[in-house]
Amino acid sequence: MANRAVPQRPNGQTPGKICQFKLVLLGESSVGKSSLVLRFVKGQFHEYQESTIGAAFLTQTIHLNDVAVKFEIWDTAGQERYHSLAPMYYRGAQAAIVVYDITNQDTFERAKNWVKELQRQATPGIVIALAGNKLDLNTMRSVQTDESQTYAYENGLLFMETSAKTSANVTEIFKAIAEKLPKNETTNTAGQGRRLVESEGANKSLSSCCK
Amino acid sequence: MTTSTFSKTDEYGFVRPDDFDYVEYEKFMSVYLNLLTNYSMKWVRLLLNNSQMKRNAKLKKFVRTGIPLVLRARVWTSVSGVQKLKDRYGPDMYKQMLRKPINEDIRNIITVDVPRTYPDNIFFHPNSENQKTLFRILCAFAACNPEVGYCQGLNYIAGLLLLITKNEESCFWLLRVLVENILPDYYSKTMDGVIVDIEVFSRLVKKKFPEVSQHMNDLDMPWALVATKWFICLFSEVLPIETTLRVWDCLFYEGSKVIFRVGLMLVKHYKKELLECEDIASLAECFKSIVQRPFPLNCHIFIKQMFTEIGSLPMSLINDLRRQVSAERDADKSTYKNRKG
Ligand SMILES: Nc1nc2c(ncn2[C@@H]2O[C@H](COP(=O)(O)OP(=O)(O)OP(=O)(O)O)[C@@H](O)[C@H]2O)c(=O)[nH]1
Ligand SMILES: [Mg+2]
Repeated sequence: MANRAVPQRPNGQTPGKICQFKLVLLGESSVGKSSLVLRFVKGQFHEYQESTIGAAFLTQTIHLNDVAVKFEIWDTAGQERYHSLAPMYYRGAQAAIVVYDITNQDTFERAKNWVKELQRQATPGIVIALAGNKLDLNTMRSVQTDESQTYAYENGLLFMETSAKTSANVTEIFKAIAEKLPKNETTNTAGQGRRLVESEGANKSLSSCCK
Repeated sequence: MTTSTFSKTDEYGFVRPDDFDYVEYEKFMSVYLNLLTNYSMKWVRLLLNNSQMKRNAKLKKFVRTGIPLVLRARVWTSVSGVQKLKDRYGPDMYKQMLRKPINEDIRNIITVDVPRTYPDNIFFHPNSENQKTLFRILCAFAACNPEVGYCQGLNYIAGLLLLITKNEESCFWLLRVLVENILPDYYSKTMDGVIVDIEVFSRLVKKKFPEVSQHMNDLDMPWALVATKWFICLFSEVLPIETTLRVWDCLFYEGSKVIFRVGLMLVKHYKKELLECEDIASLAECFKSIVQRPFPLNCHIFIKQMFTEIGSLPMSLINDLRRQVSAERDADKSTYKNRKG
């Protein structure tokens, strides 16, 4: 059954701290980036998910104890040639999910390149999660869990195998990211709870953005 | 056409969204259908006098008021320069290209994308004849233009061309004319053309609607988030179908500058709402919703206003801006290279 995203704020609870983070999804075409987002945000899955052109933007909030973590999700197009647009999308992102398809080794290689690029060019301190998607197709697997696990460990990434289709680990991966993101109180002078990071592009390092 | 107002799917096979505004649509259609009948008769007369469809002010004006569906494929083909391409490459080219092998990666990605093209359209059901045709057209195009090969987004364009022309070869040639003549380098391996045009668009907005431009900056919203799909898909999958087709009428006749007009018209009409958005999420939501509102749905008014309310937008201005942006990008690239040593 659809495993809905972590429930909205339970009735009666007073609004606590709200943290807002920009999260970008990267990875080869048709590995399931949009499907992961659709599952996480709407609890749905489409057999024929339309390919993303450019980028799509969605938001979803999850609750960790007394903190509401609001993700601004930037879902990007996967085809290699859209690569030149990617820096515009990951600029200022505090988190990234790099997705590959466990049945396709090439998509894992491509994922590694994304990780390298993010570590070199994105916001310093960006939280990166690696998602091996289409876990439901386990029988057709070509990327072994051990291999990805080791790679993720060596590169300081969060790692999970997910399925947008069955919803396995979908909420979990977003939650793990939320847990790892800094949520310490900062004095926010920008008003409206706007982010403090990224005014200087990717040069400034990651800071939290809670109000 | 008359049944469309009452049906769950429109005459092109697209399923209308759940929140489709039937009331607003009927209001518009009751007027528009009369207009169409009226124009159809005028078109027939025009084509009797100008059977070659020679470009002139009258034909341009007619194209702007909309090409009747039955004539659309024929007029697009005539005014866009397909004939010149055919003369250059020979009429058998399509058949030759079907036999030419293509790169396996490209073939794979086309294979994945075809079933993901208009999955909600009744004419593109799994394993439908149209899906097979679309696959062939995209492969033939990739074979014929290895520079471009296949770029995601072309599936939507070719798919819509197929729904309108209902003819495989016409679709192939119209796709070529769009990619190779009308749009500058949008779908190439680096997508330079589209990156440049998004920046050109952003400068035009800055010039014409500086408040909107400022607001986008303040909320940290790059135009690329909104406009990439506009430019790559030429508003298919963005605007209501009839409006998209009316845009394409002008695009085939007048060229790529039309795309800027459409974008500027949307910004102009919804300026107030865009400015009221307080964060990037509501702004993104606003951009998603305005394209399906009654104003763009009423394609007749929309297209008319886009030519009367935006002011002049000569091709020379667009080309100057394109050159300027390209030069800046080149300069940026070389400083970046130098810095990296
Ligand atoms: N079996 C299975 N199929 C999946 C899963 N996730 C996605 N898919 C399918 O894979 C195809 C591609 O999914 P998308 O979500 O569009 O992939 P994407 O990475 O967003 O692709 P682009 O937008 O082209 O970059 C669709 O047909 C989905 O239905 C999954 O977990 N399991
Ligand atoms: Mg996608």
